[in-house]
Amino acid sequence: MDQQLPRSRWFTWFDQRLQLEDLLHFLRKKSVPRHRHSVWYYFGGVTLFLFLIQVATGILLLLYYKGSEDLAFESIRFIMSKVEFGWLIRSIHSWSANLMILAALIHMFSVFFTRAYRFPRELTWLTGMLLFFLALGFGFSGYLLPWNELAFFATKVGTEIIGAVPVVGKPILEFLRGGGNVTGATLSRFFGFHAAVLPGVFTVILSIHLIFVQRQGMSEPLGTEPRAENEGKTMPFFPNFLLRDLLLWLIVLNVLVILAVFFPWELGKKADPFASAPAGIRPEWYFLFMFQTLKLLPAKILVIDGEIVGIAAFGLAGILWTLIPFWDRKSSRGERNRLINYVGVFVVMYIIVFTILGYLM
Amino acid sequence: MTKISSGRKALSLLTILVLPVSVSAHLTADRPIDQCFVCHESMGDKPSALFKHDIHLKNGISCAGCHGGDSSKDDMELAMNPKAGFIGVPKGDRLSEVCAHCHADANAMKSYGSSLRTDEYQLLQGSVHGQYAVEGKQRIAQCTTCHGAHGIVSPRDPSSPVYPTKVTATCASCHSNAVYMQRYNPALPVDQLEKYRTSVHGDRNAHGDSKVAECASCHGSHDIRPAKDAKSSIYPVNIPQTCAKCHADAAYMRPYAIPTDQYEKYVKSVHGVALLEKHDTGAPACNSCHGNHGATPPGVQSISKVCGTCHTLNAELFGSSSHKKVFDERKIPECESCHGNHLVEHATQDLLGVTTGTTCARCHTPDDKSQGYTAAKRMRVLMDSLSNTDLSAVTILNQAEQKGMEVSEATFKLRDARQALIESRIVVHSFDFQKFKTVADKGLSIASNAREEGDRAIHEYYVRRIGLGIATLFMTLLAVSLFLTIRRIERKT
Repeated sequence: MDQQLPRSRWFTWFDQRLQLEDLLHFLRKKSVPRHRHSVWYYFGGVTLFLFLIQVATGILLLLYYKGSEDLAFESIRFIMSKVEFGWLIRSIHSWSANLMILAALIHMFSVFFTRAYRFPRELTWLTGMLLFFLALGFGFSGYLLPWNELAFFATKVGTEIIGAVPVVGKPILEFLRGGGNVTGATLSRFFGFHAAVLPGVFTVILSIHLIFVQRQGMSEPLGTEPRAENEGKTMPFFPNFLLRDLLLWLIVLNVLVILAVFFPWELGKKADPFASAPAGIRPEWYFLFMFQTLKLLPAKILVIDGEIVGIAAFGLAGILWTLIPFWDRKSSRGERNRLINYVGVFVVMYIIVFTILGYLM
Repeated sequence: MTKISSGRKALSLLTILVLPVSVSAHLTADRPIDQCFVCHESMGDKPSALFKHDIHLKNGISCAGCHGGDSSKDDMELAMNPKAGFIGVPKGDRLSEVCAHCHADANAMKSYGSSLRTDEYQLLQGSVHGQYAVEGKQRIAQCTTCHGAHGIVSPRDPSSPVYPTKVTATCASCHSNAVYMQRYNPALPVDQLEKYRTSVHGDRNAHGDSKVAECASCHGSHDIRPAKDAKSSIYPVNIPQTCAKCHADAAYMRPYAIPTDQYEKYVKSVHGVALLEKHDTGAPACNSCHGNHGATPPGVQSISKVCGTCHTLNAELFGSSSHKKVFDERKIPECESCHGNHLVEHATQDLLGVTTGTTCARCHTPDDKSQGYTAAKRMRVLMDSLSNTDLSAVTILNQAEQKGMEVSEATFKLRDARQALIESRIVVHSFDFQKFKTVADKGLSIASNAREEGDRAIHEYYVRRIGLGIATLFMTLLAVSLFLTIRRIERKT
């Protein structure tokens, strides 16, 4: 395995200075388990790749974007119509944001169903969940930045939901909006969160997450641990797994470009705070199941506001979901826990059904 | 007219002869003696003298009908006893309430054989005159303000203050009083009667024609509302219908020998559509051109002035154009000659040019070899060109937008081309080709640029697809080679 291949002069030059051979030796020693669920390992890499695309296209957009009430919409229009390949960069940024959330969701559910969160990877799951919430924050803050009609009212509704939380809701709402209403101050804040605060925090947590994965290696699903006949069924991380990762990234990139060309992300109409809300206001698809649930809840449940009950229920569900490595003791002991499967299937079905309802109703 | 006058004289004579008999009969024969009237008449006071001719007395209603008391008693103390319901002279709103006691009661009115409406009191209260007077104690107008008190006669009686030929003076008694009107609406003119007398309506009315429009014909009688009130018969949107009540009635208008199709034409006109269908209260109604109190058809020379009150630029340009002098010399109505009057249609470039159906061709023919013929022809070509370029730019930009291309800036700029098209339709009234060309060229340039931007966007749309094809091919090749590399490596291991 650790065979010496003929090295180029460039490699030798760098190797003499940076000891690359040691790094290659380390990478060659790393291996990835091979089993019937191995395909799910790739979605972590896809999410990472899409995040890198977000960073690259985001930096390019920053060259022209202006985060003010008067100029935000116009600057995006300028990017899309005047800047060379601006339309492509903006469309890829918007599409990859959505695909990143999708990839992160798939990654999260694959980790959930394969019980990869169990001992000793509880902290990896926790950092992963934190990254997922940060990704949602990226989506929520980025949605407002074009300052178009749909984004304006969706942000208004979204922050209103946060404001409905008892005690802390109102201060959070005012902090997010920079006042009582969605205004230019909200846009400036969201721009700050989206382009400075979140990327910084996200990079730190992502690094920790990747270090944990490095240290612990890939988890194997229960029931697929090396048995006598499976013993030794692994794949070298370098170059085999990495090349497979690269192949998938290439396909994802191609899909992204096709989406950006055939379905360029629309800009819509400039936000007018004095206009009435247009029909069909809804948040991004990944918030839709929660939005739809809150819409369908009755005004009062017993004596409490239906909306508050809904927010509390989602909050509680989110906490339970995040803390699953700590209450699913059976999986940590290596025993099968069917309840987790039922919970997982219910959550997936709930999200799918309510998202579809959100689009239909 | 002669017949009508003779008839009236006969009626008056009959009234003089029959009235005392009927009053006497009323007092003595079939009704109890009205001691109030007997006593007051013997005193020779003015109210009883007037009441002798009052329609109420003729219908058996005694003084007590309004003043209360017991009219059967000849003893003043008993007859005018408050215990017998005597109220004396009703004051303030009590005046109208006394009238309404019968006039708002359908059964009471029926018992007198009357077919009069019984909602007048209610209408009066909801009208502008039903508001409280400045003193705040009573409503502005009571029944007696217009109908009088003791000498009330039928509104169809020429002596009635509300008879068509008299009502103008009745209304003017307040409305021409600047001091009085200032207390209620200082901005309201007080020269309505003066203006009315200059109108065709006012002139005929002054000569005894009771059919022509007077105050109540347009404003209503009991239910008069301010012009700004949407329920008012003189609210802009309601004015054409108010005028049409008479002017679209062929039978009613027959004696005057004027057309009755004005309303029919107006509703189809650009003005009528704007006012009646789009409810644009700024659009002209009948009174905007004809005046209201001084309503009269505008003279040939003043047509451009009348139209120019709204179409200022067009009128100014026309006024300084070469056409002005010719039109004045030949007494040709200015705006009307090309645009018509009641049926003013939306002015498009179809009016311009020298082909059949255009307005220029009515005077300018190829034979007259005038500059006008050439200018009209060239203007039309230029305007068509501008219009077509604008249309094609819109089409191309729409196509680009449907393909998902960002062309909002070009679409925004195109509004200037449309503005130039509108401006060119105004400048055409200068009949100066160079002036017209300057405006049209500006629009043409903007529209051409927008069209080019649309073309560029559509071209880029296809370039993007070709680029995508090349990129996909490249990425596919890369993916295949990567796949083969993976297979080669895995085969080795």
